Amino acid sequence: MSLVTSALSIRGLSKTFGGKVAVDNLSLEVRAGELFALLGPNGAGKTTTLRMVAGLLKPNAGEISVFGHDVLKDPAAAKQVIAWAPDEPMLYDRLTPLEYLEFVAGLWGVEAKVAAPKAEELLRWLGLWDNRAERCEGFSRGMKQKTALAGALIHDPQLLILDEPLTGLDAAVARQVKDLLQARVKNGATVILTTHILEVAERMADRIGIIQHGRLVADGTLDELRARTGEGKATLEDLFLELTGSGEDAAPESATA
Amino acid sequence: MTWRGLMSRAGRGSGRARRIWLTIALPLILMLAAGLPLAFALRHVRQIPAGPVGVLIAAAAVAVVAMIFTLMLSQTLSAAVDALYERADLDLLFSSPLKPRRVLTVRFLAVSFTVFAFFGMILTPILLPVAAMGHPTWLAAILVLFCIALAASGVGLFLAAGLFRLIGPRRTRTVGQVLAAVIGAAFFLFGQARNILGGAKSATVYAAMARMVRNPHLAGLPGLTWPLRAMLGEPLPLLAALGLGGGIFLLANQILGARFAVDAAAAAGAGAGGGRRRAKAAGRVRFSANAFQATTVKELRLIARDPALVAQVLLRVLYMLPLGFLILRQAGQGQSLALPGSAAALSLVAGQVAGSLAWITISAEDAPDLLSCAPTPTRTLRRAKLAAALLPVALMLAPVIVPLTLFSPQVGLAAAAGCAASLAMAGMMNVWWQRPGKRADFRRRRSSSWLVAVAELLLGFLIAAATGLAAAGLLGWALIPAVLALVGTLMLSRSDEKIAQALRTAT
Repeated sequence: MSLVTSALSIRGLSKTFGGKVAVDNLSLEVRAGELFALLGPNGAGKTTTLRMVAGLLKPNAGEISVFGHDVLKDPAAAKQVIAWAPDEPMLYDRLTPLEYLEFVAGLWGVEAKVAAPKAEELLRWLGLWDNRAERCEGFSRGMKQKTALAGALIHDPQLLILDEPLTGLDAAVARQVKDLLQARVKNGATVILTTHILEVAERMADRIGIIQHGRLVADGTLDELRARTGEGKATLEDLFLELTGSGEDAAPESATA
Repeated sequence: MTWRGLMSRAGRGSGRARRIWLTIALPLILMLAAGLPLAFALRHVRQIPAGPVGVLIAAAAVAVVAMIFTLMLSQTLSAAVDALYERADLDLLFSSPLKPRRVLTVRFLAVSFTVFAFFGMILTPILLPVAAMGHPTWLAAILVLFCIALAASGVGLFLAAGLFRLIGPRRTRTVGQVLAAVIGAAFFLFGQARNILGGAKSATVYAAMARMVRNPHLAGLPGLTWPLRAMLGEPLPLLAALGLGGGIFLLANQILGARFAVDAAAAAGAGAGGGRRRAKAAGRVRFSANAFQATTVKELRLIARDPALVAQVLLRVLYMLPLGFLILRQAGQGQSLALPGSAAALSLVAGQVAGSLAWITISAEDAPDLLSCAPTPTRTLRRAKLAAALLPVALMLAPVIVPLTLFSPQVGLAAAAGCAASLAMAGMMNVWWQRPGKRADFRRRRSSSWLVAVAELLLGFLIAAATGLAAAGLLGWALIPAVLALVGTLMLSRSDEKIAQALRTAT
């Protein structure tokens, strides 16, 4: 029996929308138990790639494998080990956090004796236990994000995919989310996240992938990326701008005046 | 209701202009045609006849005004509640230098015009030939109609504000919308008094009303003839109507204008962080590994917590009540002749209610990605959503069908089969022709498409015809509409792949 060390394997993935290429022959490998940050400018194809991994979009070409399960041929098995958390929380305003977790646990077939204590543990950890009987419609963005995160974790996913998980969160909630993600990785889960906050990727990610025009421009640890660009003490922001060529255009005078 | 449904459906998709033309122009021409014989018959009438006939006409005019006012009130109350809760541009308007009172006045003038336009569109084509054939002053009825709309707006506003004070922002929306539905159905229920109360009791009510009209004191009652005289264009009553309608409207705006911004802010607070709602059912959360059960429970909770949907269903149930009473009374008294027709109508209404709920549970989904990335098969989710839509309807039908089967097994079984077929047809139609969207948008999206809405109605009629014929014991004849309904339903079916393709295109 071979030990699966690859959490996510993408080979030659392509996706077009009405002739516009969103993802172009992308290949990527994410190892089990690491926190992988997928970076790229707006419209680079990050979300499209992750949506295909989560089984929400069908690619035009390519293969996706999650812990050895083919996402396209055996989607149910792949989905069983994945959790997807988009930037806009997927919630029902008229449900309470506890009811939401009850529903999500049911969708993933989590046994009641496992789901009930797990839900309590997650809500307590995220500071939502006292709000467990309140409808989500009255929640702040941070509380909604945390509720959605609890939903993503209720079935103990092996691969957690988060699209801009820190968008719109205040410092305290962002810290809570970051701690939670690191704790998940420590416990053996794999986390893939996209973010525009490069400091977060720099501090948290084990490896980083940079994507542009639907293609993987570079991937590796921060040191590997530095070695590749030949800039030993460069920050991730410097590397990102150099690799994507985003920093080449100077700001117009009218904007700096 | 059908008219309103068709109007909202006509406004979507391709060929919109032609459909709106057909939906509006056709009834207008028909009403214009109806106005011609009326104009001909009334061409020599110059004044209200004296005696009991005059009293009867005046009383009828009062009743018509009351009925129109009640119907308008149901809409203005609903609009008043919505104005408080649906933010739309309110935040922008309140942050502008405009006074809240002016915002309220403009908003409610628009509400008044909307309800006036609906009734005006019915009245005007009938009135035009009458006015053209010697009674131009009778066009004043249109002005009276606008006065009623203004008064209904004012009273609707007072009611909404009163509810706000009485039960607070959290419950006002639900109670307001349910109240609007009940008010809207009040005259229908009154008209169905015979079916609800039974022949003897309703006869007593009608006799009392007839006695009241013949009462000589009533003839001398000041103001009884004023609504009619205002409609016929007499200056003083017309001025009084304008004063009363405009007065109520202005009074409501004057008194409530300043409070409106405060109430709207409180209503927003009730839905935002300030006042969080605790769900009553929260204590009864039962985790289960069964995706079907979890989805059904989720959908039932969302239905129960959607005041607009509850009001809509309640309204339809109110319309079903007299029918239920009629069926059971006839069955109990062994009056078998009218029973098949009632069983047919029951299956038709059941299909309509099921269609409303299925449309919401199948197409309204706030977290479609959550369902798509779950390992649960789409079919399981769909069945669970259908179960959640059909279960409440089945529970509503049971108290009629079970006793009916005991009284008259043949009619009971036919009604049960007809209702089951209607429910199945409505459910399948909404699965095949689903149009996903956010739940909040569904108040103005009543059906998937105009074509499907019409098909659903036609198929419902065919199933109803089959039910009626089967209930009458004409099983052979019942097969014809049943087969036609089956063929029609199958013609509109779509495979899972086609549904998925349509959904991909839609999103």
